[in-house]
Amino acid sequence: MPPAEKSKLGYTPPDGGWGWVIVFGAFISIGFSYAFPKSLTIYFKEIQEYFSVSYSEIAWLSSVMLASMYAGGPVSSILVNRYGSRPVVMVGGLLVSTGMILASFGTTIMHLYLCVGLIGGFGLAFNLQPSLTIIGTYFQIKRPLANGLAMTGSPVVLFTLAPLNQWLFDSFGWRGSFLILGGIVLHCCIAGALMRPVNKHAQPKPKAEPAGCNGEAAEKVASSEANSQSDKLLSKENKEESKSQGCVQKFIDLSLFKHRGFIIYLVGNVVLFFGFFAPVVFLAPYAKHQGIDEYSAAFLLSIFALTDMFIRPITGILGNTKWVRPRIQYFFSFAVFYNGVCHLFCPLLPGYSGKVVYAVFFGLAFGMLSALLFEVLMDLVGAHRFSSAVGLVTIIECGPVLLGPPLSGALVDIFGDYKYMYYACGVFMLVPGIYFFIMHYYNYKKLDEEHRQDVAAELRTCEEAVQLRLRQDGKTAHETDG
Amino acid sequence: MSASWKQLFFQILLLLVSCRHINTKTPGPTPPPLIPIDQLPTDVRSVVLKGESHTEKVELLNPVNLALECTWTGNQDKLPNITGLWRKNGEEVQNSSQTVLLENDQYNLKRVFSIVNEENLGSYTCEFGSKAKIDFVLAAPQIGEVRDKPIVSYVGDSVVITCKMEDTKPQPSTWNWYRANGTDKEQISTAQEPLRYEIKSEERNTKLVVHSLVEADGGLYYCGAVYAISTSMSHVKLKVINFHEPLKPFIAIVIEVIVLVAIILLYEKSQSKKNSAAGENGTTDQTNTLTQGESNGPEESSSMRQRKV
Repeated sequence: MPPAEKSKLGYTPPDGGWGWVIVFGAFISIGFSYAFPKSLTIYFKEIQEYFSVSYSEIAWLSSVMLASMYAGGPVSSILVNRYGSRPVVMVGGLLVSTGMILASFGTTIMHLYLCVGLIGGFGLAFNLQPSLTIIGTYFQIKRPLANGLAMTGSPVVLFTLAPLNQWLFDSFGWRGSFLILGGIVLHCCIAGALMRPVNKHAQPKPKAEPAGCNGEAAEKVASSEANSQSDKLLSKENKEESKSQGCVQKFIDLSLFKHRGFIIYLVGNVVLFFGFFAPVVFLAPYAKHQGIDEYSAAFLLSIFALTDMFIRPITGILGNTKWVRPRIQYFFSFAVFYNGVCHLFCPLLPGYSGKVVYAVFFGLAFGMLSALLFEVLMDLVGAHRFSSAVGLVTIIECGPVLLGPPLSGALVDIFGDYKYMYYACGVFMLVPGIYFFIMHYYNYKKLDEEHRQDVAAELRTCEEAVQLRLRQDGKTAHETDG
Repeated sequence: MSASWKQLFFQILLLLVSCRHINTKTPGPTPPPLIPIDQLPTDVRSVVLKGESHTEKVELLNPVNLALECTWTGNQDKLPNITGLWRKNGEEVQNSSQTVLLENDQYNLKRVFSIVNEENLGSYTCEFGSKAKIDFVLAAPQIGEVRDKPIVSYVGDSVVITCKMEDTKPQPSTWNWYRANGTDKEQISTAQEPLRYEIKSEERNTKLVVHSLVEADGGLYYCGAVYAISTSMSHVKLKVINFHEPLKPFIAIVIEVIVLVAIILLYEKSQSKKNSAAGENGTTDQTNTLTQGESNGPEESSSMRQRKV
């Protein structure tokens, strides 16, 4: 049975203590990263009128911010690999703040693209990756729970920012609001300050006194299990680094592209992200298209956000149970599949009550998937390589994330109806769900096989070592006698 | 020859008569068209009432001779005749009281009204005794979306105020902008102050751009959609504030963040100092207990693994 992630980190993660403070910091950081771009849409109408630009030009602002946030992933990974999470998050917070302050003095729409979009997006990228990475360093056993709790930041911060932004807009107009938001975003720096690097020297390696060959075999079994699941032992990693292809390898781990689990995750994610965000974006317009009034349509989004908020920690708890944890990839595959099923049913549910039911189930699905999204990546590649992995994943996901909503919009325009778009999104999530189930079944089997082979190999070498020892002892005994 | 002189005289008379109603202070509609009443187009609106009352909204764009027809199916009494009368804005129209006979199980009231200008618009009611009435609300197309919250802008900045007529309603012939001046409205003319005001009007929307704002620019602004019959108004409130306003909360938040970050980092420094100070004395004990604790852990799990393998 392939176990859950073992720490070949070289130390035991605390799994508590200051770790919960880290989770709180990550909660804020991740919350701002995801919720901030969404909450800015409140200002779009006035900015559009002020600069006399078209709706698509203002929508570009969101796209630039999102693109820059995802493209900044690898840069963020490199910096975290070198400097650790704390400085990167604090710099990220300062970047977003500077971007917003500069934007409040903006005179053209291009000015806003640069300040809010580019600089702001980059700053948010510097918040997202390090927060996820540091959770991996502080948690091992309770990691799914920690991830679930941290990802809850996104809906909670959105829930707080949305009315706050509206109030700021009514009191100060868009310029003053941008200035004050520049201040509010500085709270990411507080989150960063909390991210104390984990103390790797306080607790020694848990590979304590070997109790004879069995003990040694057991240790090596532990390490080999770790090997089979994720990256090699530190010593092996050193060998790899010496064979590395130049500077790049030291900054970001491109050997991940040879990692089976990583490739499975990447391919599945690229497909599923096409259909991930579009249903959220088009939920309110679809409801209005069906004749539901504006306030009820907005209420649908609130229902969605509330269910999302509650299911994330619950998913974390479920992911942590002993039944789910070893096979957490199946849980993730189920979440993806369930998302697809939800979207396929959406057009079939009539009326406002149908949409409410859909909003509830979709909220559950979306939250489940989000809570597990990074946990399963950590499970596959291990906390040590997670930083590079998430950087590579985000920059490759940049494409589908950006293309998804416009493509869906195009589908709506072609057919004049939203239901085909929902069917398409459903398929885009159903297929990866099934793909994940199959591929992870295969992957777990392979891992089991490798693990058995390793154990057999270790036992053989252990027996040989014992025999060698006995012969040597025998020789020395003879020598002493003789 | 004489016929055209008569027409001209008649038109001048009409002009003089209508001139008395024009008030230069209030933004009235454009002077009424110089079309004699009998040359106006006609339109009919009829309503059949089954209950006790009904309100019918009538949207008018141009001057028209409007025939309003009321039909009432009557109540259980079914009196052979009933007193019918017309009211305009609650007041009885002179000589409109008449006896209405029951024909084909219905009571009918009909009257033609000349609607030429804004004063003719309003609420016209046909009453059947005091038992039933139908209200006809005559109005030019109203601007639907009225922004209730003020637009906030800054001293020295410029602001864009927009007004929009919905696609479902007919488009106005032109747009005007007015500024509140005490209780009156003053029309904004871009010719007078081309550097400060800019009006960009398309068919259905209009934008007023005010440059180089000062605090005195704050207040109510009115946009008027001009139709032949009258002008529909909508208002927007503008608030002009100084840049210091948002600066105060911003600085407060920045100070709060700096203080919290400093507290967190200082606390951490003091903690690590404590650890290193107590380190030499306590670490050996600590590591001993830790190793013991951890050695139990992995041995258990390793034995578990062995069993399962």
